[in-house]
Amino acid sequence: MRWLREHAVNIVAGLVVVYMLIPIAVILVFSFNDPAGKYNFTWVGFTLSHWGNAFGIPELNSALLTSLKLALLATVISTAIGTLMAIALVRHRFHGRRAANLLIVVPMATPEIVMGASLLSFFIILGTPGLGFQTLLIAHVMFCISFVVVVVRSRLIGFDRNLEEAARDLGANSFETFRLVTLPLIMPGILGGALLAFALSIDDFVISNFNSGTTVTFPLYIYGAAQRGIPVEVNVIATILFGVTVLAMGATVWQQRRAERMSEVRPEQEAMPPVAVGAAEAA
Amino acid sequence: MGRGALPALAAAVAALALAVGLAACGSGGGGEGGAVKLEGEPSGKLTISNWPLYIDPGKEGTVAEFEKATGIDVKYIEDVNDNAEFFGKMQPLLEQGESGGRSVFVVTDWMAKKMHDLGYLQTLDKSGIPNVEKNLVPSLRHPGFDPEREFSVPWQSGMGGLIVRTDLAPEVRSICDLFDPRYKGKVDFLSELRETVPLVMTCLGIDPEEATEADWMKAIEKVKGAVDSGQIRRFTGNDYARDLTSGDAVAVIGWSGDAVQLQADNPNIEFRMPTQGCSLWSDNMVIPVGAPNPTAAEAWMNYVYVPQNQAKIAEYVNYVTPVEGVKPIFERTEPELAESELIFPSAEFTKKCFTQAQLSEEEEQPVTRAWNAVLNG
Amino acid sequence: MAERRRIVPYFLLGPGTVWLLLFFVVPLFYMGYLSLESGVVGSLGFSWNWGNYSDALSLYDTQFARSFLYSGLATAICLLVAYPLAYTIAFRAGRWRNALLFAVVAPFFTTYLIRTLAWETILSDQSPVVDALRFLGLVPENGHVLATGSAVIAGLVYNFLPFMVLPIYASLEQIDERLIEAAKDLYASSRSAFLRVTLPLSAPGIVAGTLLTFIPATGDYVNAQFLGSAGNQMIGNVIQSLYKTQLDYPAAAALSFVLMALIMVVVLIYIRFAGSESLMGEEAR
Repeated sequence: MRWLREHAVNIVAGLVVVYMLIPIAVILVFSFNDPAGKYNFTWVGFTLSHWGNAFGIPELNSALLTSLKLALLATVISTAIGTLMAIALVRHRFHGRRAANLLIVVPMATPEIVMGASLLSFFIILGTPGLGFQTLLIAHVMFCISFVVVVVRSRLIGFDRNLEEAARDLGANSFETFRLVTLPLIMPGILGGALLAFALSIDDFVISNFNSGTTVTFPLYIYGAAQRGIPVEVNVIATILFGVTVLAMGATVWQQRRAERMSEVRPEQEAMPPVAVGAAEAA
Repeated sequence: MGRGALPALAAAVAALALAVGLAACGSGGGGEGGAVKLEGEPSGKLTISNWPLYIDPGKEGTVAEFEKATGIDVKYIEDVNDNAEFFGKMQPLLEQGESGGRSVFVVTDWMAKKMHDLGYLQTLDKSGIPNVEKNLVPSLRHPGFDPEREFSVPWQSGMGGLIVRTDLAPEVRSICDLFDPRYKGKVDFLSELRETVPLVMTCLGIDPEEATEADWMKAIEKVKGAVDSGQIRRFTGNDYARDLTSGDAVAVIGWSGDAVQLQADNPNIEFRMPTQGCSLWSDNMVIPVGAPNPTAAEAWMNYVYVPQNQAKIAEYVNYVTPVEGVKPIFERTEPELAESELIFPSAEFTKKCFTQAQLSEEEEQPVTRAWNAVLNG
Repeated sequence: MAERRRIVPYFLLGPGTVWLLLFFVVPLFYMGYLSLESGVVGSLGFSWNWGNYSDALSLYDTQFARSFLYSGLATAICLLVAYPLAYTIAFRAGRWRNALLFAVVAPFFTTYLIRTLAWETILSDQSPVVDALRFLGLVPENGHVLATGSAVIAGLVYNFLPFMVLPIYASLEQIDERLIEAAKDLYASSRSAFLRVTLPLSAPGIVAGTLLTFIPATGDYVNAQFLGSAGNQMIGNVIQSLYKTQLDYPAAAALSFVLMALIMVVVLIYIRFAGSESLMGEEAR
């Protein structure tokens, strides 16, 4: 009984993790299904053929590639912009700071459907050269910036300024200090922000639905296919995406553990920064 | 607020002023659709917009074969998910005389008519599509909305009716049976206004082809009652297939092509011609204004009307093929499909069926509103 | 030097601010303009049509109420589910910390739709999960889980759980464990230490997580579309239908603004109640 009480929290946590992974398991299982027709709803039989044919549907491939390209570009741009903003917000005093803060927080607080729809109105009235990849990119960068800022900012806040002082005492100028001391130390935050931006972009459905024109992203392809029968290959790709992500995250952490063990800069800090969204200010 | 905010605010106001100015300028009128001008041999690039999973895919698919046969570079996009949604997406472009790069798209009868009435479609040059003239099935040659087939060519045709789990609800034979409380919570209706409501009208004894606005409203009321009582499980697009397969639904209003597919996985699923008749519709290829390379577009239409090529598509899609001469091919290669009433319906089978009902411009707004009120609870 | 220092922040902020202003703020103005038009696509005309707003409130009050109800419940459930997980990851996980964080974030990468569709399979009438629920008496004998409000709420909980877990975790991770030890040294029980030290210190995370869950959940439509029935549609579904099927952009735009306004009201009340320091920026050190 006491064991139960002591470990109750852990048990609940374990159950929650299982809960989070159940749909992934279902997706995985159904990627091995062998339906006779177009519909992949009930289990018919086991086959590896769809895994072999994972990239055999051209429309699916092009949708996936579009999504990856979009996510990559959106991540790079929004991470760059967001990091700069975070530095400005944390390190500098200036007028309009409150307004800037507001500007960053409000997009996170707006329902996606409102953002998507208003962008649509905007693009239509402007008559920009058609909706398509560019408009999608613009939209994705827009909603990613806020999240990057928040993540990098929380990392910057927890950052020990003494290290920079020390570097300057040792003769480094501002730029060198930034490049050799600050940047590497906030890099986990930047990477965390980038990772979050990538995830948000790849996963985005609502805003893309409104602003894509003829371009078909992976989630949009699925939405169209969901009406008519999702090919098993979609499950395969989803599982692959999941697997690749897990591997990539694992690699990052392993990398970091190595780096920190070698540098021993912040011994009390745990390996991966919180890929945290929202405020995590120190007291 | 401080210095930083003021320039920002000024920028925003300037942008807004610019925006309103642009909006006020407005877009140029759509005008008449104009006619297709054929220019020499078909070549170059072709962009086609179609519904998802409406063509046999892959490296051996029809698109690939067409590219090989003609040397035209085809971009095939499956971005038509819903007629109204597609219209909404395309309208601003079509209004300007642009098509977003597309040369062909495929929309259902009523949307083709609507687009034509607004001047968004080009009239076809029949000399570019001799196979269509030759092989189009008689029943589709003179539809009400385009009596001489001047701007539309059927892609596939289909029937809306009942799809039933014969093991769970064997007695469902008419639309009225769907309202039987025995099946409460186990019935799906199509969310498509022009499919579901006319079928419900037949249950009320109204002829959909003669229906007035009041008739539409009456049928919508009946559906609303079924929603409120929990009779209807949900409104779906094609995703009733999921409910039928899992048994979450025992009878649905659905489309004939899906039934053929579903039966392949589960022989207990069957399309039933409702006793009062079904709805007949077709999805049509149209060439919009501003279409680049209409010559290639007509070449495509001509190509898919060759019976051999159509047979490949029909085999995958399983809807009613609009091309004559496919049945004999299937009799040799796919005898089961050749027998299917769902792909080659006899006149007897569809004798009570009605073509998709049209809503006039004045009726469209209030009826659509009322219907969406029901869909959105 | 001082001159340069004053300009630097504006340069850093520049690109981001311009982007957000141009592609977030200005489109909202457009939507405002659109909301005062009347007619449908193909025949829109500006006419100071405030009627759109009053229509929005009167025609769709049920859906508004339903949206707030569903997202409120979903947020509450999310909080209850997420907190133990965040706690475990922060305090009890040790080497498994990162693996658990992955488990929380990685499902994101399979895309929103596929996850929701997987739930359609899991919650279908014949599935073992629903059978178990029937056995436990949580679902009536002939009842179904899909196409009900519960399925929609379950979907919302699942999809927004990471947004609740991560801020709470971040907040908990920053707590100095010595404070908890100190409380225990002062004879506080585990429970007491938790309630009076840990919980209050994690408040910023809770506030952030709740808002990041509640706000998007209220405007969501995917879960209701796939997991719900006609009687479970949320305001997001109405907006989507107005934009996409009915092509009634003015009504849709007005409805979007009303939604935003209502959410703002709820959020402001909540922040007043819960304390706002955690949300806005930090002072430069």
